[in-house]
Amino acid sequence: MKFKNSLFALLAGSLFFVSCSSDDDNGSGSGAYGNGTFVLNEGNSNPSSSSVSFIGSDGTVEQDIFKTVNPDAPAMGSYLQSMFFSNDYAFIISGLANKVTVVNRYTFEFVASIDTDFSNPRYGAVINGKAYITNSAAYADPDDFLTVIDLASFTTSTVELNDYAERVLTENGKLYIANGYYGSGSSVTVFNPANNTVEAVVELGYSPNSFDEQDGALYVMGGTEISRINLANNTISGTIELTDEMAGAKNLTISDNSIYYTVGTSVYTLPLNSTTVPTEALITYNSDSQWGAMYGFSAYNGKVYIADGGDFISNSDIYIYGTNGTLINTLKVGVGPNSFYFNN
Amino acid sequence: MTFNRLILVLAVVMCHQLWAQQDTIVPLKEVIISDTQLRDFSNTQQVLVLNDSVIGINQASLTSFLNYNTTIYFKENGLGMVSSPSFRGTTAQQTAVIWNGININSQLNGQTDFNVINTRDFNAIDVRAGGGSVIYGSSAIGGSIHLNNELEYKEKFTNELRANYGSFNTLGLHYAGTMATDKFSASLSFTRNSSDNDYDYVGKDGHNLNGQYYNNSASATVGYKINQKNVLTYYSYLFEGERHFSLIFPSETRTKYDNFDTRNMLQWTGYYGRFTSKLKAAYLSEKYKYFDNIYAEDYSYGKSESVIGKYDLLFQINSKMKLNSVLNFTQTKGYGSSLEGAERHIGSASVLFSHSVTDKLMYEAGIRKEATNNYESPFLYSAGAKYRFSDFYLLRVNGSKNFRIPTFQDLYWQGSGNTDLKPESSIQGEIGNEFTIKNASLSVTGYYIKLKDMLRWLPTGSVWRPQNTDRVKTYGIETVFKYNREFNAHKLGLTVVYGYTRSENEDTGYQLVYVPYHKASGALSYGYKRLTAYYQFLYTGEVFTRSDNNSRYNLDAYTTGNIGAEYTFGKTTIYKLGAQVLNVWNADYVSVDSRQMPGRNFNFYFTLKL
Repeated sequence: MKFKNSLFALLAGSLFFVSCSSDDDNGSGSGAYGNGTFVLNEGNSNPSSSSVSFIGSDGTVEQDIFKTVNPDAPAMGSYLQSMFFSNDYAFIISGLANKVTVVNRYTFEFVASIDTDFSNPRYGAVINGKAYITNSAAYADPDDFLTVIDLASFTTSTVELNDYAERVLTENGKLYIANGYYGSGSSVTVFNPANNTVEAVVELGYSPNSFDEQDGALYVMGGTEISRINLANNTISGTIELTDEMAGAKNLTISDNSIYYTVGTSVYTLPLNSTTVPTEALITYNSDSQWGAMYGFSAYNGKVYIADGGDFISNSDIYIYGTNGTLINTLKVGVGPNSFYFNN
Repeated sequence: MTFNRLILVLAVVMCHQLWAQQDTIVPLKEVIISDTQLRDFSNTQQVLVLNDSVIGINQASLTSFLNYNTTIYFKENGLGMVSSPSFRGTTAQQTAVIWNGININSQLNGQTDFNVINTRDFNAIDVRAGGGSVIYGSSAIGGSIHLNNELEYKEKFTNELRANYGSFNTLGLHYAGTMATDKFSASLSFTRNSSDNDYDYVGKDGHNLNGQYYNNSASATVGYKINQKNVLTYYSYLFEGERHFSLIFPSETRTKYDNFDTRNMLQWTGYYGRFTSKLKAAYLSEKYKYFDNIYAEDYSYGKSESVIGKYDLLFQINSKMKLNSVLNFTQTKGYGSSLEGAERHIGSASVLFSHSVTDKLMYEAGIRKEATNNYESPFLYSAGAKYRFSDFYLLRVNGSKNFRIPTFQDLYWQGSGNTDLKPESSIQGEIGNEFTIKNASLSVTGYYIKLKDMLRWLPTGSVWRPQNTDRVKTYGIETVFKYNREFNAHKLGLTVVYGYTRSENEDTGYQLVYVPYHKASGALSYGYKRLTAYYQFLYTGEVFTRSDNNSRYNLDAYTTGNIGAEYTFGKTTIYKLGAQVLNVWNADYVSVDSRQMPGRNFNFYFTLKL
């Protein structure tokens, strides 16, 4: 594997906590959707099947809020891949339509539709007034790139990465990009948005499928091990080996000083400072269709969220658990729910 | 094993040939088709015969043709794009397309794309409703579509040229030529269709983007009577096309799809007294290339090649009874960018029997068993009877067991294929009533299909794998009404077909997605001397797009209509001029969610017959 940009060295500065799947930037304002959880329902090849569900603080679900609020706005597209926030905006990425729909995160009112410079967009994050979105381009090739959206004008430009690029998070003025795509790619890229260059490539030796950051460290899930990358010097400072039974582990996320990850239909958790994995699952849920099991996962603010993909052609279920493993609620959302985003 | 027993039966039948040859020679019929089972062993099911005059006034795609003339429902991803049928509420893989007696459904995905067959290359297209796996093999569950090329042995030299041009720069060219004597007969045809296909959406901004297509096809049918007893016939059909796949969102990645399919068959027919022996050798190939980005050179591809050997022996036991044994060997190789190279061998034997007990009563029955190393194949059977109570009323009953075999993609898709699959199988039955009065006929058929081990691709995160999962119960009613009347120089014709279809997943009780409860179509035509005018209509009821039948996401019912007229000039050389207004009511409709179909558009055609 070639990493053209691995020559670049990196000096990282001071660090502060940001969680990748919760409200990255607190905005201001209030609206019907200002306090609750969005569930992204990716849908199938039919654009009317994709939607965003909203779970209010009282646990009630409102379906398809984008179309409810914006009946005349351009459709979001389908295969909704992910969502991210910045100030008052929420960004919704459609893989099928090669576009990003921008809405007000509190009212869900349509703001803009951006459809230039995308090729199979995946994940995004905002830093210094610009959104950076990874694109798979040809899925099988390391030809991925970033689409940069200037949030003042919603104009776009691109930056080649010449690698695989999936999940992305921001920390201390840098973008961290997981270079893993279902077994291809095996590193994390540190990208400096100030000059659009790759500052460092941290080689992992495996394909990362998820990551999260806390206290100056990046925790990267590789399916058989979790690596801890010290962001001060971009080196691997620790490894937690998973047991053989946990092969294929994914969905690493950090909440309340605990790491959570999933294996099949089970959720495991360990304290951030632990060096060994638990032997018992925190939660194991039953999925009617094992093929859509654990399609979306998150842990946030004392709760664990599981989305079941169902049959991808009808509304499916999500499950909310306490961090002690007790089921709090089962809710019906849209087609193919794949992720959770917490708004407050 | 049943299979061995069948071979034994067949061997016995073949031995009869030795002493049967001395019988009187059965004179050859003038019009010859290869698919004789359609004539001889399809008498207890409804066969809708659509001849070349019907083909002539319809659009060139098999989708449009069948949509307006049968109860078959089509999912079409925009005009000219990928199109798959639901015949009697079944899936796309449960309709067999039979070309001159040979099943030509894709070996890769098990279905036929009804927009990659040009209707004008065939003399007759017959629609045989209901189970037919005993005769036609895999996929004949909902029914089968028969594309036939006929040969006539009589002095003949004809040439026909047709050109059509219409909205969206849609062009069609077709040539058909026939040359025949009493010993030799040859038909050739070439067809070209192309379109920018950039129609404006009805009732909203935007137009169809990246929908352009072209295709070329050629068909040849050549027959030669070596002597009174032996005839050699060669059939060939080639199709080559490129379609860009239309977009829903302008920013979607533009894709296109090229395909090249060949079908060739050589047949030696021997008429030996009460025996008719047919030895057939066929070679079929299909190849597609899919460009997931038209601006990149990369593409994925799939390819299959099949060699088929078939021996078909018909024994006319007496004037009332027929016995037909068919042995079939098929070897198929499949390749593809995502397919593990694989080879499949299937041997099958079937025996068919038909008996006209009296002028009023006849029955027929058949059995078939396939053997292959890939999966366990069920024993198939069919039986039916027909009784004519009076000139006014006829009753048909038929029951059968049918199947749909796993495809190469189901079995060998890299990383997803499942080699433990079983064929889907169905038990089904139908009762047909036909009422006839002077100028009118009405056929009402009720059917019931119980399908198990339905093959579905289900997601496993990023990977989808096929599974034998669901059981489906399908039942419904099909009606065909025809009225024809001629008086003086006037000709009036009316055909209306209507289908009511319930197709339920037995686990959930919900109707399958994309199966409308109601579908109707029809045509009214009026001719006066050399002028013919016609109106075609199509009504498709609302369909579910969600497996939980959440009606919020249903596709609306729609009605479309085409109106046309043609005038014939000339005596020996015949010229025909025609004009059509398609979707005359400018209906805003989709047959697949978000896949907008064109509004009102125009087509003009010119036919020259020499």
